[in-house]
Amino acid sequence: MIQDWPRGAGAAAAPAMVEFEQVSKIYPTGIEVLREVSFRIEPDEFVFVVGPTGTGKSTLMKMVYREETPSSGRVLVAGRDVTRLPARQVPLLRRRVGVVFQDFKLLPRKTAWENVAFALEVTGTHPSEVEGRVQEVLDVVGLAPRSGALPGELSAGEQQRVSIARALVHRPPLLLADEPTGNLDPDTSWDIVQLLSRINVQGTTVVVTTHDKMIVDILRKRVIALEGGEIVRDQPRGLYAGGH
Amino acid sequence: MPAVTETPRTRRVTASRRSSPPARGARYFVREGIEGVKRNGLMSVAAATVTMVTLLALGVALVVADSLGQLAQSLERKVQVVVYLREGLGAGDLAVIRDRLERLPGVTGVTYVSKDEALAQFQTTVGARVNLRDLLPSNPLPASFILGVDDPARVRALAAAARALPQVEGARAGAEAVDRLVEVTRVIRLAGTAATVGLALVAMLIIVTTIRLTVFARREEIEIMRLVGATAWFIRWPFVVEGAITGIGGALAALLVVGGAYAWLVWGARAASPWVPLLAPEQVALALTWKLLLWGLLIGVLGSLLAVRRHLHL
Repeated sequence: MIQDWPRGAGAAAAPAMVEFEQVSKIYPTGIEVLREVSFRIEPDEFVFVVGPTGTGKSTLMKMVYREETPSSGRVLVAGRDVTRLPARQVPLLRRRVGVVFQDFKLLPRKTAWENVAFALEVTGTHPSEVEGRVQEVLDVVGLAPRSGALPGELSAGEQQRVSIARALVHRPPLLLADEPTGNLDPDTSWDIVQLLSRINVQGTTVVVTTHDKMIVDILRKRVIALEGGEIVRDQPRGLYAGGH
Repeated sequence: MPAVTETPRTRRVTASRRSSPPARGARYFVREGIEGVKRNGLMSVAAATVTMVTLLALGVALVVADSLGQLAQSLERKVQVVVYLREGLGAGDLAVIRDRLERLPGVTGVTYVSKDEALAQFQTTVGARVNLRDLLPSNPLPASFILGVDDPARVRALAAAARALPQVEGARAGAEAVDRLVEVTRVIRLAGTAATVGLALVAMLIIVTTIRLTVFARREEIEIMRLVGATAWFIRWPFVVEGAITGIGGALAALLVVGGAYAWLVWGARAASPWVPLLAPEQVALALTWKLLLWGLLIGVLGSLLAVRRHLHL
């Protein structure tokens, strides 16, 4: 089991929350999606991973929760090499890494509440714990009043809030959001990004992939820019397109 | 936003208290398993029906083999060796032969049947309508010793040993008919098992297909379960339960058919000829029940495990 998660910024000897060491990914078809990618993300950081579609942003995210493995190189999460994680420990990793997607991935026949509770139920959480935990995360994302609605009855922004609540319900130290605003209009996108930012402030490391220039430029967080499978820029308080 | 990094964590990483997933999930597995059976409707019925046909073959073979086995056993209890003697032996010769027969291992008793007694017994068998003494110029039947035997397995050896004695014309082991019956029973068991295994494979294939439908219907749910950290077995269990329900459903149906048919047959046979040594239905019922249920469960669970292996990529 993954233990000893980083205890927060400032602890000098603490391992990075996420560390890529010379990670390359070449698919059997010969397409190279990532080439020798290396970076560190410290606990409590908020990081944008930006770049045009097809530059390996999603592949990079998938490697963190072991949906993909690199062709070479190491991926460390909380100091642990997840590329060598035994298959039976992968579920335990995933309970510590919340994931949010562009298409929300909600179950259409379950209510908002049930969608969030589902993540607890299928990981064997004691029923007495479920209610309080679901309530807590629905409060965090501001969706408690709509908890009885089915995904089809919710707006896109509300659905993304449900999916964020589900990602948070295991209280993960790390939250990955893969194009979370890809299906949202600018106003809603801004709401969601502010929510992610608030979650970060409350002590969760957040990594967001996006090609939404507007939100990156307004938020001025660390930006890792990928192009053609390589890191072309890694800038604190950066902009989508670089510069100052 | 410099304040951000200095803000203490309000939601510290804590290991959540969890009870063991299998105990926690049991109700969920059963609920989802039943849901799967219902969702697949006709397909589940088809899978259970093929399982039933499979187990019918097994059930019939078991019942027939058990009945024949019972018959063989009842015959074995009457096993004896008949030692035919040469013509014209005197009392002294008879005493010597009797003495040597009695000393053979496994012999529990020696009874002398004279030529006249043999003819009288044969007369009883043919009935009063024909008088053998009138029909035959002389008595062709030899005198004999009948040996009681403690163990049916010994009769062949005893017959051979008796044949080797002087003044002995021949010896017949009464177990030959039993041997044939035992052989037939063995063949029926073998054929029944072979048919069962063959049909079981077909039943399993259909269960695999049925479960595949469930996997497909639940693919979104499965994807999310994987993403939020459900263990592989937590994801698999509902499918295994679905397979088990299908298999046991088929077994129960087969049990009703075979059990009902056998009971009907035995009651009919008893009314017609009470002496036929058939097993009572209640004697058959217990062994049949657990064997068929076990096979049904086996077919269902193996089928679903195969399906999960092939179609559930965890």
